[in-house]
Amino acid sequence: MAKRTPQHANPIQDVAWRRLLVNFLIELAFYGLLVVGYFFLVLRLLGDPLARIFSDNLTLYALASLGLIVAQGFLLDLVVTYILDLLGLDRLE
Amino acid sequence: MEFPIAGVVINPLLLAGIGFLVGILGGFFGVGGGFLAGPFMFWAGVPTNFVVGTDLAHMTGKSMVALRRHRALGHVDAKLGFLMLGGTILGVEGGARIIEALEAAGSVDQVIGYTYVVILLIISAFTAFESVRALRMIQTDRLDVKEALGFQAVAKRVRSINIPPMISLPGSGIASISLWSIIGVGLVTGLLAGMLGVGGGFVRMPLLIYGLGIPTHIAVGTDLFEIMFSAGFGTLTHALKGNVDVMMALVMHTGAALGAQIGAISTRFFVGPRIRLLFSILPLVGAILVLVRLLTGSGLEAL
Repeated sequence: MAKRTPQHANPIQDVAWRRLLVNFLIELAFYGLLVVGYFFLVLRLLGDPLARIFSDNLTLYALASLGLIVAQGFLLDLVVTYILDLLGLDRLE
Repeated sequence: MEFPIAGVVINPLLLAGIGFLVGILGGFFGVGGGFLAGPFMFWAGVPTNFVVGTDLAHMTGKSMVALRRHRALGHVDAKLGFLMLGGTILGVEGGARIIEALEAAGSVDQVIGYTYVVILLIISAFTAFESVRALRMIQTDRLDVKEALGFQAVAKRVRSINIPPMISLPGSGIASISLWSIIGVGLVTGLLAGMLGVGGGFVRMPLLIYGLGIPTHIAVGTDLFEIMFSAGFGTLTHALKGNVDVMMALVMHTGAALGAQIGAISTRFFVGPRIRLLFSILPLVGAILVLVRLLTGSGLEAL
């Protein structure tokens, strides 16, 4: 029978876990700020052009929709990674 | 904020909030969350024909973010995901055709609906039973959490099938398993997804764990892998039908991206059996939502 080993140590007591948790909270704060800025600077400007494409060409709209969602996913993650690297904070990974 | 494509005015914070909550679920459990996001979107005022397509669009982006996190944590078996994808796509297509055939034969909403409720309740009860048993095994038998699976009979039987080609899944710690078993899981979940109009995550997760013996954390990450592709495919098809408001999806995604990160990272603080125990609540919620719709003829907005 396999010897029991704790898979996850108590994160509160472990200093390394606490540091990672603080880093993650800082990352979330930056992420939140970026998202708000992105929302006001980019998303609000996309509404009318997308509505025009939706009316004129559904195929183009479908491709643009998928492309925008994928691009946003990559963009948000990349920007946060860059900022964290710039600040010299450890990533949880 | 006005969303001209859907022709509605909705508070973007509400949409981002819905995305955030569903994102946490997706990141933590590896499910798309459509069964929850759909009713919430409907309640928020999103027109019916835009609910499914827009949800699939935001689900695609959310799954990507959660998947990146899970991949960094070593929770994704890409080989398993790609092998299952073929079965999933075939299953979805098959499920959609079955629905068409049944609808041509007569009204099947009640039959499919109640069948769905029964399936969800069985999954919920079984997952809860197994995970409680596994937690007891950890405490009483002092088993390592990785070995604590309260029900292994089906997985052992499936792994003993020797129909070639045999595949190894080093990412999941499986030395040899028949490719047909993997495709079969994809086929079953795709069939249910196609028939019931859902992503299938809360069926795929238990099948991966109890049917193939995939470790829980790997099942979560790999499930997101499947959802990303199936939701992406669904986004395209629905957008071509004019049923996607991508602006709404992008707004929801800003919240979902945050939630998905929280959900994915949180899996590190929970052992497999606890994740499975918490997961057992989701199909129960799904069953309640479907029952509400069946009994009242409408969704959460009826409550």
